[in-house]
Amino acid sequence: MTTQQLGRRRRYRPPTPLGGRTPLGGSFRRRATVVGFLAPAIVILGAFVLWPMLSALRLSFTDASGFGRPSFVGLANYVRVFSDPDVLRSIGNTALYAVLFTPVAIAVALVLALALNHPALPFRGFFRSALFLPFIVSLAVAAFAWSYLLDPQIGLLNHWLQVVGIRLGNVLQDPTLAMPTVVLVAVWKSFGFYMVIFLAGLQEIPTSLYEAAQLDGANGRQRFANVTFPMLSNTMAFVVIVALIAALQAFDQIYVLTGGGPYRSTETIVMQVYQSGFKDLDLGFASALAYVLLIATLLLSLVQFLFFGKRGEDTTS
Amino acid sequence: MTALARPVAAARSRTAARRPPSSRWIGFVAVLVVTAAVLLPVAIIVLTAFKPASEVNAYPPTLFPHTWTLDNFRAIFTQLPFARLILNSFAFAGGVTAFALAFDALAAYALARLDFRGSKVLLIVIIASLMIPFQATLIPIYQLVSDLGWVNTFAGLIAPRAADAFGIFFLRQFFVSLPRDLDNAARIDGASEWRIFRSIILPNAVPALLTLGIFTFVNNWNDLLWPLVFTTDQDMGTITSGLTLLTGPGGIIPQGVMMAGALIAVLPLAVMFLLVQRRFIESVASTGLK
Amino acid sequence: MKKHIAVVALAAAVAVTLAGCAGSPGSSANAHVDLTFWHGYTEADGKVLDQIVKDFNASQSKVTITTQTKTWAVIDDTMLPALSAGKGPDIVAMTSDRLPVYAEKKALVDLGDFYAKDSSNTAALKEQAVAMETVQGTEYGVPSGFVPLSVIYNKKLFADAGISSFPTTWDEWVADAKKLTKDTNGDGTPEQYGLVLPDHQTVGNGIWPSLFAGNGGSITNAAGTKSTIDSAANEATLEYWSKAVRDDKISPTGVDGIAADKLFTAGKTAMEIGGPWMAGVAKASGIDYGIAAIPAGPKAQVASAIGISLGVTAQTDDQQRAAAEQFLSYFNEKSVATKWALGSGWPPLRTDVSAADVDANPTVATLTGLPGKTVPLLPGVVDSGDVLTAIDTATQKSLAGGDPAALLATAGSSIQSALR
Repeated sequence: MTTQQLGRRRRYRPPTPLGGRTPLGGSFRRRATVVGFLAPAIVILGAFVLWPMLSALRLSFTDASGFGRPSFVGLANYVRVFSDPDVLRSIGNTALYAVLFTPVAIAVALVLALALNHPALPFRGFFRSALFLPFIVSLAVAAFAWSYLLDPQIGLLNHWLQVVGIRLGNVLQDPTLAMPTVVLVAVWKSFGFYMVIFLAGLQEIPTSLYEAAQLDGANGRQRFANVTFPMLSNTMAFVVIVALIAALQAFDQIYVLTGGGPYRSTETIVMQVYQSGFKDLDLGFASALAYVLLIATLLLSLVQFLFFGKRGEDTTS
Repeated sequence: MTALARPVAAARSRTAARRPPSSRWIGFVAVLVVTAAVLLPVAIIVLTAFKPASEVNAYPPTLFPHTWTLDNFRAIFTQLPFARLILNSFAFAGGVTAFALAFDALAAYALARLDFRGSKVLLIVIIASLMIPFQATLIPIYQLVSDLGWVNTFAGLIAPRAADAFGIFFLRQFFVSLPRDLDNAARIDGASEWRIFRSIILPNAVPALLTLGIFTFVNNWNDLLWPLVFTTDQDMGTITSGLTLLTGPGGIIPQGVMMAGALIAVLPLAVMFLLVQRRFIESVASTGLK
Repeated sequence: MKKHIAVVALAAAVAVTLAGCAGSPGSSANAHVDLTFWHGYTEADGKVLDQIVKDFNASQSKVTITTQTKTWAVIDDTMLPALSAGKGPDIVAMTSDRLPVYAEKKALVDLGDFYAKDSSNTAALKEQAVAMETVQGTEYGVPSGFVPLSVIYNKKLFADAGISSFPTTWDEWVADAKKLTKDTNGDGTPEQYGLVLPDHQTVGNGIWPSLFAGNGGSITNAAGTKSTIDSAANEATLEYWSKAVRDDKISPTGVDGIAADKLFTAGKTAMEIGGPWMAGVAKASGIDYGIAAIPAGPKAQVASAIGISLGVTAQTDDQQRAAAEQFLSYFNEKSVATKWALGSGWPPLRTDVSAADVDANPTVATLTGLPGKTVPLLPGVVDSGDVLTAIDTATQKSLAGGDPAALLATAGSSIQSALR
């Protein structure tokens, strides 16, 4: 060890043999440390998440109903997933919902996060809290508020628009308008969630980077493209996955607003899972459908990771 | 750094002064309009709580009540053991948040900073567990908790949520983006991982921890299916599960009363968020490189 | 490391599952029996039922029943997980459309032998009510509610329009509805409707079955094995009512049962087809209301029924089951049945209780004395959800302008596949 290294300990950057992570001490101590950190979460997740998931997988190969003795049916449930027209329709509906919801929710959240992060905006605390309110309101209650707005006969929005001569009609029962309306309500309900995550990510970005960019003569848009967006890549990767998972599992708001109608045009996969598990008492089929959804989501996320994950540092490296 | 700071600050203020005030005004108005639109449904919820039953479904519909009344609030406390439900909600959401923050942070640290074989696989498994809908695992979870003898207890209500995949994933992403120089330096100095976790990583992760804390609390406070299915004893329920029992004549939900209950349910969350979001502003200065 | 973690996780999961000992409390030979009873009677009717249960408990010493009140929807959502873990109710009340599903999956106990006994008091129960409890020839429940859909109307709006007596045929009904539909500002959308006719998720899912039956049509054959919805009679019915709604604008379209209730309480419609609870709702909203039977169609005067059933769950052992049957026998006694009719606001379930016996509650008396036939809805059909969705699609699209013949054909094939 040279005097230089001894003298300048704080600036020592170790070589990065393992992708930036440093090895720990002895082998036993290393294992014990890792286990110590992971143990509580692993025990809980193992018992209450992993084990039920495996149970569900087992159930998906049976004709279980929750009562009596289930019998093995092999792949029959899975075959039904891909041949039942109602299920296929719900897959299409879910895909449509995801395609509409994910980009809109993320875009709205990002734009508002940027606005709220801007130092020139007054009353930021107020706006931040106000925009977060839809998220903390419970779903059933939000559904009431929206149906109060959108009811074609006694709805508030219809009433106000009529004064200006616009007739809104029955948006929730119109086959073409029902899905966009449901997506709108979902975006309204969840954008605050993603907005706050973006805010946390934005405030992580050191101001020195902006200062340096400004010294280089970058304008607002360039600063966004060259500083903000790259530094947000971790956050963005996270939000996209989370928003996509939420979109693919859409259930509550649709159940309350349209019940899957009109003509099952807003019925999603999870609604089918709920219907077959809790209403038709066909737990085996519900589990199979849930697993198909899981695998599809996993594949989609992997694609997303591979496509977007190259940019920026450390997404899953 | 300080030598550069003054000219930079001067440059920034000059740039700021040069930006025309009108674009800032447009931005402000835009945010104001969007906020008003977003708040409209919330306003409906708040105002309906003060409307008498005859006005709730009246035609023509109104935003503001003609007659303001506190009847709905009185009704909510007489129709349900509402005070008890509020306490239960605090216990449930608070308990889950406390445990989840602790356990998730520990696991996230291991996944972000400790190198071990299988960490990537573990992360993928954890993320994958987010992708199965709760409706499919509800019954196995219920059976498991029932076998443990925990039905209708707080232990059973909280345990399945005491660590969650979302929180681990969220914190892991955050920890990964913290600069390594901070903890590498400490590691070279011989500090233990626990020490690094406690003294370096956690203080720098305050915005993320607050964020996750709020999310976890709100999501569990508003959760319906799990407390509904799990608590068969009416006194053990939460606000959301309790509100489902609200009915008026013929099973038609008394909307005014329900909104009153919802308003009371939202207040602690709003207050909590108001207090916490200030910390976001304060903690800007403490993150990042100095 | 991966192996290590996997081992820890598995060990934890296994340890946790083994730690629980799932032993359901069995009852010994002639010990006291405790039963839980879930029901969805959340209003004053629930208090009456709870009192009946208390009376039963007091009348003998071997059985004690504890009731738990939840809404019907909550019972339906929470019963499956609870029963699958052995923590569900022993006796449960549910809406009759759910009974066949639970019966088929053996979640409810076969009550055929119970019905055969004289002591069960089931001989005096209304035949149509018992039909709603029957699945594949065997009874799985005891009716606790059975009421025909009826029309509730706004007396003031009737008086304003100069109508003095309630219509008794479809043509009179539509004519009166037209008189009661008012578009004062001429913008093409009425401010007041004569009769709100939901076209999907109707109350008790019974409005369209009632209308179809009024013209001699049906949804399925008597055994519930074949679809009969695609018929000339039903096509004529759909044509008739679509014309009334679309051309004469007597009702808005795209409405479901709950929205219809809201319109009535808002005073925006003079008539709606509903259940007994609307009496209380109308009163609370200050509407001077009247109740009348659904007018007669060209072939018959028929109303579909809403039913509530009491079942005994498969969670019970022999002793608990016997105790539950003891309660059901008590429930079917004439005095209890009369008390229950008065308290629940629904007509009595026994044939030997007349409208005069229940005149203490005028709504009940009216409902008991309504003319016309009451028919159960899709009795014994297990997959009623899909059947009802098929009907809804046909009616909703028809009122939106679709071709009834084609829509009924599509509905017919959907229903046939649902009936297996």
